[in-house]
Amino acid sequence: MTFTRTPIARSLLLLALALFALAPLMMLIATSLARGWFYPVVLPGGMDGSAWRDLFTDTAHRSALVNSLMLGVSTSLTATTCALPLGRAAAGSTRVVRRAVALLAFTAVALPPVVLGVGLQLTVLTLGLGGTLFGVFLAHLVPALGYLTLVFLGVFTRWDRRLEEAAATLGATGRMRWRLVLLPLLRRPIAEALALGFLVSWAQVALTLLVGGGAVRTLPLDVLAMLQSGQDQRAAAGALALTIPALIVLGASRIAARNTSAVVA
Amino acid sequence: MSVALDVRNLFVLFGGTSREEPARTSISRFMFEDSTIDEELTRLSGYHVGLIDLSFAVDSGECLAVLGVSGSGKSSLLRTLAGLQPTIRGTVIVNGADVSSRPPERRSVVYLHQEPVLFPHLSVLENVAFPMIVRGIAKKEAMHRAIEWLQRLQVGSVMGFFPESLSGGQRHRVALARALCADPAVLLLDEPLASLDPAVRRDVREALQETRAASGAAMVLVTHDLDDALAVATHIASIEQFGQLSTPALSADILEQPPSLETARVLGVYAEIDGEVCASPSGNLFRWIGGAVPAGNVEIGRAVACVRSHEVQLHRGNQLNAPALTVTSLREGARDAVLGVRNALGEEASLRIGSGTSVGISEVVQVTLRHARIFPSHPS
Repeated sequence: MTFTRTPIARSLLLLALALFALAPLMMLIATSLARGWFYPVVLPGGMDGSAWRDLFTDTAHRSALVNSLMLGVSTSLTATTCALPLGRAAAGSTRVVRRAVALLAFTAVALPPVVLGVGLQLTVLTLGLGGTLFGVFLAHLVPALGYLTLVFLGVFTRWDRRLEEAAATLGATGRMRWRLVLLPLLRRPIAEALALGFLVSWAQVALTLLVGGGAVRTLPLDVLAMLQSGQDQRAAAGALALTIPALIVLGASRIAARNTSAVVA
Repeated sequence: MSVALDVRNLFVLFGGTSREEPARTSISRFMFEDSTIDEELTRLSGYHVGLIDLSFAVDSGECLAVLGVSGSGKSSLLRTLAGLQPTIRGTVIVNGADVSSRPPERRSVVYLHQEPVLFPHLSVLENVAFPMIVRGIAKKEAMHRAIEWLQRLQVGSVMGFFPESLSGGQRHRVALARALCADPAVLLLDEPLASLDPAVRRDVREALQETRAASGAAMVLVTHDLDDALAVATHIASIEQFGQLSTPALSADILEQPPSLETARVLGVYAEIDGEVCASPSGNLFRWIGGAVPAGNVEIGRAVACVRSHEVQLHRGNQLNAPALTVTSLREGARDAVLGVRNALGEEASLRIGSGTSVGISEVVQVTLRHARIFPSHPS
């Protein structure tokens, strides 16, 4: 059997894909700027930017935004710092150790958020950190560490150890090997890991809700709260605001990855 | 010349728990009654002793080629000398200093992998300057010296390139230039000519010869190719059965008189002829199906004669006072041919003769061995 793809069919497929991908985003943009736009009215009564203004001027929203940024940055940095040596050590170990580490990391990623959240809530409450920003940070760290350990395990399983051996016999000490060989060659996976770690925390709802117990406000929680209370325009603006740092982080990681060798790509 | 590398009673390990390729041959730990070795092997889980009690020395400016079949532990020997894998016993002395327990970066030993390992994120010039930069030499001075070495090894024109754009031969030359910039006392070369096509092989051989001439470093080259060893090394030794190293011999002498049957087998240029050493009034003789040759001091009993192709002379008909042999097979090779012969009693032997020798199947010949190296047979 053969499949033929005509230019028209291809264009239609592309259009359908673009609609699926962009329609929710377009709807959010329209809603965030629309005034008095309620079902079944087809077109909004007018346009205004009050939802956007409120988002950045309202103290509560600003605080949620700052919390989200702090959690994202600290989770990203901590998870990357821990996952890199962990992945490297596991990749250089026996197959049994490698598989055990991969399984543990995958468990943290694959467990349903509610299961993970309840487990973490009980743990964090036991530690007396329930409802605190630090408790939420610890909770975000678990899936982020899982994702990033899997990333670095993959990177170091393909890593050419002869590069470090060559550097060592040429006179480079352990620290020099990190600075002059490992880190420059790992720039791309590190940038991607930082971005991924940030995004895992940035988009987290279930863990924040369960461990933070409502006391820790983040931007995704605020968006949900606005939606539930019928503030569609502000919820749409908040949801769009959630995508901005994600796009910035992804863009920055792409730039950081430029000119990185394909050794570990 | 002074001794740059002195290896004493070194044991070399195979295997380990890392992702290294498992060794194909190894010597069982249970062969050793020494409990310290056993304890060390238990600590280094997954390792086996591969080479035993190696002792050799290499002078500055000289090159020792270690010949051995695949899986015999050649690379493990170099990795042990470089400090890239653990040592359980033995001493590695470099320029008079015991470096056995030092990390690789403090041994003054540079190890070159089989495939040149250049840093892909650095240009050729930065790669070559790397060993000087890590030693704290000023960047300007390091670059200047790197350019000198690149030009000496005839790769000055590619100094601005990145490794991915170099040809195989250029990569080898750049790796050699970088190694020499480290000013090592010892340079270890792990089969640098394996898996290269003939043109690049010639190029890299030349580079190795230039390197030996240009640097004062002692070199250890491991290879399974005798031609490579003869082209580059001043001395040759081979890894023998049960993980031992033959006594290094001068490259010029080793073909004439290999120190042992195992070495002769590793050299791979001899036909092995089975026979027996018998006493005679004129001294011991090696008797084989085609006649007899002097056996020198070889003890009486079963023996093997190792004979090269140019040392075999065929005579047609019945000209000599020697047994007549019937040609049973002839297999032509690029350099020589393998000739199968049988005597009247049905006993057979294989000889190497010059390629292109005119002889037919079923033809009757007599054979003279101009020179033969006789070794006692021992169970293999």
